[in-house]
Amino acid sequence: MSKYDLPKNFDYKNTDALRPFITETGKIIPARVTGVSASNQRKVTKSIKIARFLALLPYTDMHQ
Amino acid sequence: MNKYEAVIILNPNLSTKVGDFLKDFDKLLKDNSFSIVKTEDIGRRQLAYSINNHNKGHYIIFNLEGDPSKLLEIETKIKYNESIIRHLFLVVKEHSSEDSSLFTESKNKKPESINEDVKVESKEIKADESAKTKGEV
Repeated sequence: MSKYDLPKNFDYKNTDALRPFITETGKIIPARVTGVSASNQRKVTKSIKIARFLALLPYTDMHQ
Repeated sequence: MNKYEAVIILNPNLSTKVGDFLKDFDKLLKDNSFSIVKTEDIGRRQLAYSINNHNKGHYIIFNLEGDPSKLLEIETKIKYNESIIRHLFLVVKEHSSEDSSLFTESKNKKPESINEDVKVESKEIKADESAKTKGEV
């Protein structure tokens, strides 16, 4: 089993499924590391960015 | 007619007045010929980063249906509503019939909080025991 299991449906509300795709510092892990297909990586990225806007995920670990 | 998913983060200090807000918001939507399909009151939640010096927010998710041209009016109203610290309207193809993972998470949290206390206690006991065994050795 890969560390980067894809969620069944890409959803910004499912933060537990998105968390493997960001680093400890909050960066999105690139597709060449995750090994996810390009179209799936775009969906993951989009969900992460929405979740960040809604303060469900951090932009960085430097938030004060 | 478009289908929308709206997330609204309310000022956590107004958590007790959520009922009033929901009534006002319902009225605002009805005035603009929007209809609410589903409401999920998720409740207070820790924010990943502080917004306007708030560390917690009261999340509410709506499934809406309405006219795109009217959405601008709603958004301008929301903009000047100080009890809303953040909002997002998303166009969706289909409304999901299932509860969102955030909603189920918030539901499960309340009974779990008791268990968590028990877990912490049991851990402490174990730590004491390990300390004792070390002392004996």
